[in-house]
Amino acid sequence: MIRRHLPTYSVAFFIILGINFVLPRMMPGDPLMAIYGEEALVAMTPELKAFLLRSFALDKPLWEQFLAYLSQIAQGNLGFSYYYSAPTVDVILGRLPWTLLLVGCALIVSTTLGVFLGIESGWRRGKVLDRSMLSMFMALSGFPGFFVGMVLLLLFGVSLRLFPLSGALTPYSGLSGLPLLLDIVRHLALPVSALTLGNLAANYLLTRNTMVTVLKEPYVFSARAKGLPERIVCYHHAGRNALLPVITRTGIWLGRIVTGTLFIEVVFAYPGLGGLTYQALLSRDYVVLQGILLVVALLVLFVNFCIDLLYVRIDPRIQNAR
Amino acid sequence: MHVSIRGAFRKNRFGHIGLILLAGITLLALLAAVIAPTDPHLQTRQSFEPPSASHILGTNHVGQDNWSRLVHGARTSLLVGFLVACAATLISALLGVSCALTGGLYDGIMMRLVDALIIIPAIIILILIFAYVKPDIHFIIMSIALFSWAGGARILRAQTLSLKERAHIWAARSFGGNNWYVMRRHIVPDLSPILVVEFIHAFRRGVFVEAGLAFLGIGDPTTVSWGTIMRNAVEYSYMNVWSWWLLPAGLALSIAILSLTFIAHTLEPIMEPRLREEASA
Repeated sequence: MIRRHLPTYSVAFFIILGINFVLPRMMPGDPLMAIYGEEALVAMTPELKAFLLRSFALDKPLWEQFLAYLSQIAQGNLGFSYYYSAPTVDVILGRLPWTLLLVGCALIVSTTLGVFLGIESGWRRGKVLDRSMLSMFMALSGFPGFFVGMVLLLLFGVSLRLFPLSGALTPYSGLSGLPLLLDIVRHLALPVSALTLGNLAANYLLTRNTMVTVLKEPYVFSARAKGLPERIVCYHHAGRNALLPVITRTGIWLGRIVTGTLFIEVVFAYPGLGGLTYQALLSRDYVVLQGILLVVALLVLFVNFCIDLLYVRIDPRIQNAR
Repeated sequence: MHVSIRGAFRKNRFGHIGLILLAGITLLALLAAVIAPTDPHLQTRQSFEPPSASHILGTNHVGQDNWSRLVHGARTSLLVGFLVACAATLISALLGVSCALTGGLYDGIMMRLVDALIIIPAIIILILIFAYVKPDIHFIIMSIALFSWAGGARILRAQTLSLKERAHIWAARSFGGNNWYVMRRHIVPDLSPILVVEFIHAFRRGVFVEAGLAFLGIGDPTTVSWGTIMRNAVEYSYMNVWSWWLLPAGLALSIAILSLTFIAHTLEPIMEPRLREEASA
């Protein structure tokens, strides 16, 4: 399983590297200007320009540039953000925890709830509860996440004033300990709900469909024939197997979830990578955009790799396959 | 393949709702010039006007008619979605089928590429590309399509692999039909229900990505887009104008995506025959 997927991960990684390397160099003009943009160049000191020129070998032929680019990336140098006047890596790593918090919470809530509702719904296929849940989640899965976010914001933030409108913390509040934690949770509630709603529907629909097919398997029939309690057949025999595609799909969906987070962060002015992307777009800080692409891609590939490892544990058939 | 698309729609509530909603938005787009005669680009001094007889949905921050922009936005959305779907389906069919028929190293390399493209977060790549290139609408359509074909190619390849072992394909081959002939004459017609499903998925993705990128402010500034409307409306959300400025555009986008989701769900039994009994859900 893992050996089979390694080439995929390397290809994906090199596509990202290739885009990051080729795109700015296809632009007209001197490479430093093409990579950083005019605004950035004006703001740079001559020393910084010389340093960037040297470390990325921008006055050398393309292949030497590529080698220099690879070696700088390996050393963790993603260039210099003129807008934040700091190394891009530091800017991105400073924002990353907020995005991870958001994605992590949304992923945990939407997966557990989606699987639970999916199993219950598939078990009751055709009943009133199943039909109404199916209709509800079908409708829900059509709404784009950032619009859901805006509606939540307008409803619970602006009209009802239950939740803060933006950010991840109350600025200059000087909170610490438990009040700080509660403050973070209050700021997290709306963005996580918006993210969860979209992903929940996808998880629910997938689990339900798998459940419907799994329930027709002979081992479910024999489990019932043995006289096992319904709950045990539902969760231990059928539900466990309905879980497998959800786990596989989570890896594939992760890219989509992270992208969804970027949009949600823009709506809620959350200080994660999405907010950073938006800011970088406004200030034309191209190097930050490149860095975000690289970091997000690495993150997605890493989680997929972990899911591969996890999968072997959950589905022993994979290990015995060869 | 013995599945009928019309059969899938018969007795399916979601399918009917999806078709009606999509027809409604298509009608809106087609009749844009009739039902919203105001030029959506025309800027006037009457900005932030609440709804009135002359401006059903009021005006925006530069005095443009919100209703007219909403209706013309439907054109952009549907056009982008449709063309993305055409291009993506074409690419996935060509690559998926040719991989299955050729096999070997070509197949191996292409499938690694497909798997890689499925994992990669495409929207971030598009953001980066559009930030550098300053795209027009054609470039946007092409780029979205280039990052939307991978999933379809994998499914079409798998289907072709099972199709190509069937008797009628062997018969065609024994009469001297080459790869191209078999693909054109037998495989692609047999795959057509799956191509329709892939088309709908790519359509939905095209509509969503175009609106999303416009919402972030990257895209063709000369086209009227629901994403741009929402972006502008959010900037002025403190003025309490969102109920006639933000909501209609957001709902229109949601309805467009919702209708395509419903249609895709209706056609899902084509991909997953085990779900077929459920037509009346």
